[in-house]
Amino acid sequence: MNVVVIGLSHNSAPVELRERFAFTEAEIPGALKSLCESGVAAEAVIVSTCNRVEIYAVTALTSDAAVIELKKFLVTHHAFNDTLGDQLYSFAEPHSLHHLFKVACGLDSMVLGETEILGQLKDAYDLALQHGHTGARLNKVFQRAFHTAKHVRTHTNIQRGSVSVASVAVELAEKIFNSLGDREVLVLGAGDTSEKVARALLSRGAKNLIVASRTFERAQALAAALGGRAVQFENWAVEFGNIDIAISSTAAPHHILDRAKLEPLMKHRKNRPLLLIDIAVPRDIDPEVNFLENVYLYNVDDLQTIADDYLKLRREEIARCEAIIADKIKPLLEASRIQPQMDTDGHRLKTLPADA
Amino acid sequence: MAWFTDRHFFLLAVAVYGVSAMYSVFLWRKGFRQDDHANYFLLLTAFALHTAAMVKRGFSMAHCPVNNLYEATTFVAWTIVAAYLIIGLLPRLRFLGAFASPVLLAIGVFALMPALDPPHPAGAPPEFSGALVSLHAATSLLAYGAFGLGAVAAAMFLMQQHDLKFHKLRAVLSLFPSIQRLEIVAVRLVFAGFILLTVGLAAGRHLPRPPDKPYWTDPKVVWSIFMWIAYLALLVFRRLRLSSGRNLAVSLIVVFLFLLLTFWGTNLLSPLHHP
Repeated sequence: MNVVVIGLSHNSAPVELRERFAFTEAEIPGALKSLCESGVAAEAVIVSTCNRVEIYAVTALTSDAAVIELKKFLVTHHAFNDTLGDQLYSFAEPHSLHHLFKVACGLDSMVLGETEILGQLKDAYDLALQHGHTGARLNKVFQRAFHTAKHVRTHTNIQRGSVSVASVAVELAEKIFNSLGDREVLVLGAGDTSEKVARALLSRGAKNLIVASRTFERAQALAAALGGRAVQFENWAVEFGNIDIAISSTAAPHHILDRAKLEPLMKHRKNRPLLLIDIAVPRDIDPEVNFLENVYLYNVDDLQTIADDYLKLRREEIARCEAIIADKIKPLLEASRIQPQMDTDGHRLKTLPADA
Repeated sequence: MAWFTDRHFFLLAVAVYGVSAMYSVFLWRKGFRQDDHANYFLLLTAFALHTAAMVKRGFSMAHCPVNNLYEATTFVAWTIVAAYLIIGLLPRLRFLGAFASPVLLAIGVFALMPALDPPHPAGAPPEFSGALVSLHAATSLLAYGAFGLGAVAAAMFLMQQHDLKFHKLRAVLSLFPSIQRLEIVAVRLVFAGFILLTVGLAAGRHLPRPPDKPYWTDPKVVWSIFMWIAYLALLVFRRLRLSSGRNLAVSLIVVFLFLLLTFWGTNLLSPLHHP
C-alpha cells in the first residue's frame, strides 16, 4: 500500500484555478466516502485551503494508476471541463511523504515557515478520522508529520521572526515595552497599512486607540472599526503626553512631526519611551527626532529591511529542516519496506512502482 | 586530598567563570538568537565549586567566611551568581549570564591575589565574629552582589537600547527581554541591594568598637554612607521619572564600577575593618 498525493497549490496554479477545485468543509466527508467506495483509496485525507487543494490517499493500485484515478475523481467532482497541465502535481512514496512533511512544516507555504497550515492540516486529518476514512497508514504518517513540524519549529529558526511590516512593528513594540497590555496607540492618517499595524497591535493587547485623519469621517470610521476614538487632526499633538506608540501614514507632502515640535512634547512624557512608526511616503516624521532621548523611530524601509532579513534567515534554515524531515521519514519508509529515494531534483510527479 | 584547599575550589570556580566569559563572546557573536542553556549550566557548575570553596573555608574556621578581603570579595561574587541563577530560570533573562560572567571572572581573579587572603593567626579569634557582625558583613556583601547584578542588567539594557535606537537587526533577532523589563529588573535588584545595605549599615552601627575608633569618621563607614546615598538618589530619580532609562543604566554601571574600584582601598584605610 502506497501513499499517493495529488493536488494543486499556490506554487503550481493561480487562484482562479485553485478556487475551482476547492472543497468546502461540508462536502469533504461525502467526497472522501465516494473516493473510498470507488476502490481508488483505502484511506484518504482531503486538504483544502486558500493556497492548496490536495488529496492524500493510501492505495493498492500502482502509483500511475492511482494518480490517473485521483485526477479523474478531482475533475469529475468539480465538473471541470478544461484541460489540466502542470498545474496539477502528484507524488508517490517516498516523495509523497516528503511533500506532506514539507507542507506541515510550512516549507511549501506562500509565507515560508508560517504555522497556519499545520492547523489546517490537523483539521483536515481530524475530519477524515472522524468519518472513518483514515487507517493505520495515514494515521501514522500524519501523526509523524505533525510531530516533525513541532520538532522543526522548536529546533530551527524557520518560523522565527515576522515577515510583514505590521508584524515587525508589533515585534519592535514588544522589544521596547514591558507589555502591550495597557499601551495607547495613536494612528495618524487612516491608510491601509496603518490600519493593519493598529490591528496587529490591538491583537497583541494594546488597549486604547486614537485615530486622527484630515478627513474626520474617515478617522471616525476607522476608530469605530477598531474600537478606538477619533480626534480632530489639528489636535493630535495634545495626545502625545499619554500615548506610547504612534503610527503615521498621512498623505502630507512634508514632515508633520519634527524635532522642534516633538522636543517640548517629550517633556510631558516623564521619560517614558515612545515608538514612532512612519509608514508614509513621503515621510511624515523627520528622521532627526530619532536622536531625542526615549524616542525610537522606524520608517517603512526600516521595517521592510527587518522583514526581508527575517525571510532570508528562514531561507537559510531550509536545509536544516529538510535534514530533519529526511530523518523523520526514514522509519516510515522502512516500515513500508520502501527504500528512501530522496534525490533532490524534481519532486514534481516522479511516479514510482507501487512496491518498489 | 588535604592539599586540596578551599582556594583550589575557588580557583576552579574562577576557571569555569573564565570559560563562561569566553562562551559569552561566542553568544555575543551569534547575536543571542537562541535560548542557550550551556552558559547557565557553566555558571551553575562554577557556583557549585564556589559554594564548596566557601563552605570548606567556613567549616575550617567554624565561622561565616567573611573575615578578610578575599572572603568578602568571593562572597560578593557568590551573591551575584546566586542571584543570576534564580533570575536566569526565566528564559528571557538567561542571557544576563553572558554579561555577568566577565564581571565574575574579573572579581574572581582579583580575589585570588594572595595579599587579600593573609593566613589567620593560629588561635586568634576571627576579625569578624559574633551574630551581629555576621549579619553586618553578610547583608553588606549581599547588597554589593545585588548592585553588581543590577549593573549587569543595566549593561544589557544599554546594548538592547542601542540596537533598537540604531535599527540593528540584533534588536529583534535576539531573545533579550524588552528594555522596559530590563530596566525594571535592574531597579528591583538595586532596590533589594539598597535594603540589604541599609540593614548592613544599621547592624554595623551597633557593633562594639574600641573607644579610640570613632564610627562616623571611619573611611569605610563614610564610603558606605556615600554609596547608600548614591543608590538612594538613583532610586528616587527613577521613582520620580527624572532620569531616562539610558541615564539610569549608565549611572548604575558607573556607581558599581566605583564601588568595585574603591572597595579594597577603603577597607585598607578603615581602622574599624583593618585594625
